[in-house]
Amino acid sequence: MIRTEELTKTYALGEVSVEALRGISLEIEAGELVAVVGASGSGKSTLMHILGCLDRPTSGKYFLSGKDVSELSSDEQARIRNQQIGFVFQSFNLLPRTPAVENVELPLLYNAEQLTRSERRDRALAALDSVGLSERAAHHPSQLSGGQQQRVAIARSLMNDPSLLLADEPTGNLDTKTSIDIMTTLHALNEKRGLTIIIITHERVIAEYASRIIELSDGLITEDRPIEAATAPLAGV
Amino acid sequence: MLDAHAVEIALQSLRRYPLRTALALVGMAIGVAAVLVTVAIGTGAQSAIRNQLRAAGLNIIQVKAGNYRTKGDGGGGVLAPHAFLLWLDGWLAPTAHAHPENDPMEKHDHPTAADRLGDSKAGLGGAATLTQADADAIEALPGVANVAPGVHENIRAYAGERRWFTRLHGTDVDLPLIRRAHGIAHGRFFSQRELRRTEQVAVLGSVVRDKLFGEGADPVGETLTLWNQAFRIVGVTESTNWMTPGTVGDDAFDAVYVPFTTIHRLLNVTNLNTITVTTESAGEVSNIAKAISKLLRVRHAIPDTAPEDFTVTTQASEVLAKGLHPNVARVLIGNLPNLDRATLQELSMTLERAARTMKALLAAIAAVSLVVGGIGITNIMLLSVTERTREIGLRMSVGARARDVGAQFFAEALTLALTGGLLGIVLGVLVSWALESSLGWAMELSLGGIALGFAVATVIGLLSGVFPARRASALDPIQALRYE
Repeated sequence: MIRTEELTKTYALGEVSVEALRGISLEIEAGELVAVVGASGSGKSTLMHILGCLDRPTSGKYFLSGKDVSELSSDEQARIRNQQIGFVFQSFNLLPRTPAVENVELPLLYNAEQLTRSERRDRALAALDSVGLSERAAHHPSQLSGGQQQRVAIARSLMNDPSLLLADEPTGNLDTKTSIDIMTTLHALNEKRGLTIIIITHERVIAEYASRIIELSDGLITEDRPIEAATAPLAGV
Repeated sequence: MLDAHAVEIALQSLRRYPLRTALALVGMAIGVAAVLVTVAIGTGAQSAIRNQLRAAGLNIIQVKAGNYRTKGDGGGGVLAPHAFLLWLDGWLAPTAHAHPENDPMEKHDHPTAADRLGDSKAGLGGAATLTQADADAIEALPGVANVAPGVHENIRAYAGERRWFTRLHGTDVDLPLIRRAHGIAHGRFFSQRELRRTEQVAVLGSVVRDKLFGEGADPVGETLTLWNQAFRIVGVTESTNWMTPGTVGDDAFDAVYVPFTTIHRLLNVTNLNTITVTTESAGEVSNIAKAISKLLRVRHAIPDTAPEDFTVTTQASEVLAKGLHPNVARVLIGNLPNLDRATLQELSMTLERAARTMKALLAAIAAVSLVVGGIGITNIMLLSVTERTREIGLRMSVGARARDVGAQFFAEALTLALTGGLLGIVLGVLVSWALESSLGWAMELSLGGIALGFAVATVIGLLSGVFPARRASALDPIQALRYE
């Protein structure tokens, strides 16, 4: 599913250049639920941006579904983001003053083959239904709780049936109980649909949901281990 | 770059910020409406001037019974060497021939001797020299368009308890064709049949109507009493030119019009006071005036040496002499050959030029407001790009290409400008209409003005869209997503 070879990323900050990634090689199989952990500044966000085709590595190769995507033009990258990758953000990133259903429709607006308005609406409503929010389709983000907003964002990320879901601190703005909800939802998506999910987090407990934890430090992988029992580790919290 | 899809996305976004959208639209609409209204005012004033010149009678010749002119004035501009002396002479010691009361250029607030004496010979030249046969003969001249015989009296008009001292014009059905500034406000002008049967029907000037029946009333069907005779009112005539509305004391609208045949019957006379002639082309006025003089001299059997017993004037000379001392006017007119051709043309050109300048000035002012409206849209769009940076980042993360984002912002600006432009056209039409009907301004909405307003709106939309669109599309998705 995902294979990287010696990914590096160097940012030039004036005179100084910062090496955010210093050679990341990893492989992630389809259907894995991977947690990427690390302190801030460890390079996990940079890694996510490259894996999400939002950015290009300074050097190294990135193969997504067997295809080298590290050298694509930004239009081709946009195409891949649209079709193969779903994003879930810490701050939800819903359009304000816009009904939940229109937020969910958003990726469909940028499909190469354009759907009719009613096709878009139908698919968005189905996606909202799958995250248990069909009642709230007409609500604006400001009328939804944090957990509900994140579920709308998850529904949005699933619109084009991506093969990869990237979640950047998906529970960072949520309380514990809601965090459990969201993680359960993501876990279920991984189990039932076989969706490959990469979760970036600095919370250990969230990482426990994954089947595999990759730890980054200073732009290098310091630990990469599977987790045996990935079932409800939060129950006792 | 722009497809229906981008427009759809743009509309969705515009709906999300209704207040901002509305403000931008209003700014644009006011700009376009201002252009439209000012161009309409300019064009309206221009054609009002044109109408007025036409109405002033570039092509009208008046033949009056009697000859009240002083010696030497008849020949048409041959007394140049003596002009000043003559003028001085007339100024210092008006001769008996130049009694001010008899001057046709003067307006009197009391009946003049000629008026008081009515049809009897009024001393100088005799006032009863024109007949219907003269009018028919003039009508037969080549180049003559319309001929309207006229009988004029001062009269007390009664309607119930109210009365008004005014002018009575006995005339022909052709008068409305001659006086283009006369519009029919209510009813109609009297008909050929009524003229033939000498019926007692009357058309009121708007001033008389105002005085006898109240401002703006419709007196059609009411009765007017003249000389203790009942006249049926069939119509009201008013000025079609907003620059010269009817006023008390003017000859055109402070007046009652009846068939001249009816006056002939009631007063038992057959002569005419005036014959009003229009020529087919304004340039022919001088020649036809001369031809009329010649014709009437023959018809009236006047020897070459004797003065005429009638007066032929063109409107040009009257316009020019308006407000001048009669003696000055006389000298002036006598010394300007072909005055009607030269002067009125020059006058019209000057007025046209002035109107064009005014129009350009108004349009320039309006254009400024349009540019301000356009800058408003640019400003709002730029603000919007900054404010919606995260939205742009998000759109990019779900697959929007840079050009999709650019197209969206471009389409938003264009939509604002075009919708604002359309609203502006509607607003401009409404405002023009309101100004015309409430203030009576002459407004002329032209397709050209509308097209201009819309074209400018489009250009502003394009220009004000390009910059924000480029800004939005140049954003880096990661930076945009992180933007706080």
